[in-house]
Amino acid sequence: MEKKLSEYISMSKNMKISNNDKSAKIAILASFTLTGLDECLKVKCAESSINYKSFVGSYNQYNQELLNQSSDFYKFDSDLTFLFIDIRSFFAENFYFPYNISTDKRKSFVNDKINELENLIHQFNNNSNSKLIIANFNIPSYSPNGIIETKTDFSFHEMIEEINKSLREISKKYNSLFIYDFNNFVSKFGEQNIFDYRQYHLGDIQIALNFIPYLANELMGYVKPFCGKNKKCIVLDLDNTLWGGIIGEDGFDGIELGHTSNGKAFVDFQKQLLSLWNQGIILALNSKNNYDDAIKVIKEHPDMILREKNFASIQINWNDKAQNLKQIADEINIDLNSIVFFDDDKINQERIKQEFPEVLTIELSKDPSQYSLILKDLNDFNVLQKTDEDRKRGQMYAQQRERHELKQSISSLDEFLKQLDIEVKIKKSDEFLIPRISQLTLKTNQFNLTTRRYQEEEIRNFSSDENFEVGCAQVIDKFGDNGVTGVYIVKKDEKSWIIDTFLLSCRIMGRGIEDAILSQILKSAKENGVEEIKAEFIPTQKNKPSENFLSDYGFKKQNNFWIYKLNNDIKSPKHLKVEIE
Amino acid sequence: MTNDVTKIVAKIFSISESEINDQSGPETIESWDSFNGLVLVDELENHFKVKFTISEITDVKNVADIKRHLKNHNVELDD
Repeated sequence: MEKKLSEYISMSKNMKISNNDKSAKIAILASFTLTGLDECLKVKCAESSINYKSFVGSYNQYNQELLNQSSDFYKFDSDLTFLFIDIRSFFAENFYFPYNISTDKRKSFVNDKINELENLIHQFNNNSNSKLIIANFNIPSYSPNGIIETKTDFSFHEMIEEINKSLREISKKYNSLFIYDFNNFVSKFGEQNIFDYRQYHLGDIQIALNFIPYLANELMGYVKPFCGKNKKCIVLDLDNTLWGGIIGEDGFDGIELGHTSNGKAFVDFQKQLLSLWNQGIILALNSKNNYDDAIKVIKEHPDMILREKNFASIQINWNDKAQNLKQIADEINIDLNSIVFFDDDKINQERIKQEFPEVLTIELSKDPSQYSLILKDLNDFNVLQKTDEDRKRGQMYAQQRERHELKQSISSLDEFLKQLDIEVKIKKSDEFLIPRISQLTLKTNQFNLTTRRYQEEEIRNFSSDENFEVGCAQVIDKFGDNGVTGVYIVKKDEKSWIIDTFLLSCRIMGRGIEDAILSQILKSAKENGVEEIKAEFIPTQKNKPSENFLSDYGFKKQNNFWIYKLNNDIKSPKHLKVEIE
Repeated sequence: MTNDVTKIVAKIFSISESEINDQSGPETIESWDSFNGLVLVDELENHFKVKFTISEITDVKNVADIKRHLKNHNVELDD
């Protein structure tokens, strides 16, 4: 349940200034009265441990703020900018009388309006580094044309749909532009609730005050990933969370899953979880049960949707839930603050809340039919961009568990590596790979020699510069495709090549892949008549795992650089296959 | 229920209940601007389960006016 706007307003007045590691500077521009949104966002940011600074544009001044390069808005230099334009003022007379003009006039009017918006976006893009989030236009349920609206050429509703469609297309051209589906928000809560004629006539309030907190909640969906506060993993209980009843007492045939009304609710919840998993959210289990009883349901129950292969970590035992949760975080190597915890038991919820306040513990309803809704209402899984690797993340982590299990069953590391059947595909950077390469430089911390962060544009420039070589590595083994998980950037001089960037995603460390990629770079340099390779190790708080990589390979330290003379042998690991594309 | 009106007014304008009397209004309460006035209307409507008309809303000049309009909507206030 959302708090009331009045509560947000009074909370925002009494807030202490906090000092969090993440900050967001947010600008709100609107064509109508949107007072109250600022207060809600301020409170919600504090609740997510985000420092909040805001700029609220004056009433209906968005054009001036965006078109004037020296406006107060641009001076504020926001990180995220929300722009709300209402359809009434945007369409002016045509909102009421769309059919007073011909079909052609309607089309050219809509074209003009799209150009107007595109110009605003263009100006914004030239003058600001902020992300711009434009609300699309809600399509009113009413038309003066009544039931034949849908038979009308380029109808009133179609005019607005056309603008929304164009906004979507424009947003694909600009990395920093996002479209907030306000039309969707109105249909979620209902036009007659969102639009209150009294509030409209009293103060040009076009989103009813009661719903401002809900709107703020949706907008936090942009703020959280911007601040890296998005969640990556859902940890689940089993009894009364993924199925009804208790497997230890009710038995395989006694639990509720499928068929009964409650049973259907659990199936629906599991399907929602699976669809998040398909989008790259990691799933894990934390359940107090006899392992054999519970795993039998997961493996064999005909109505079970989630199976063993969907879980990156499975903790089914009688240990303390908090201890298990820590185990899960360690095993899949993610921060506790990127975990969401679903457990029907109030005591377990309390236990986790106290022990790990950074974990998002969900207060589940007593009624399983509400579970799906609770899950869908979370705005914590949003990301501002998504690569193929991100979508496969859930799958990759589950494969990681299988690798781990194989490793435990084999005593020697060499034997384990041989059995993995690793294949490394080395690829030159191209338009398709650039987003992923940039993403890896931005987020890889542990195995990263220089930790240089590069935006897509910079990677694009390196890739087209003949003095640089930008490459990456896709790693495949018998358990599946790890995706593009290694990156290197080399600056090529005549006599020596300098390794500007060399990194590896932490989940594939320690399998000789780093050696394979490096030896490819050395071989290629040697073939080009280069005498030596220069590399750097720039220590950070997190990159200790790559500290000894260069010296272990045989690089020698000279002043600030590590040098490898190419008249030495180039060794390459034998247990894996390397392919150059 | 009079007390409820005072409580709500105090909460919306972040002032103490003792500062509020029938004559309190936008002139005496600094934070009572047009926007907070509408937040107050929203809060009163939710609390007393009534809907005011625009005329009633624009007519309110002080707490006494609020009570008068609430009575017109058959809300029983004990004073």
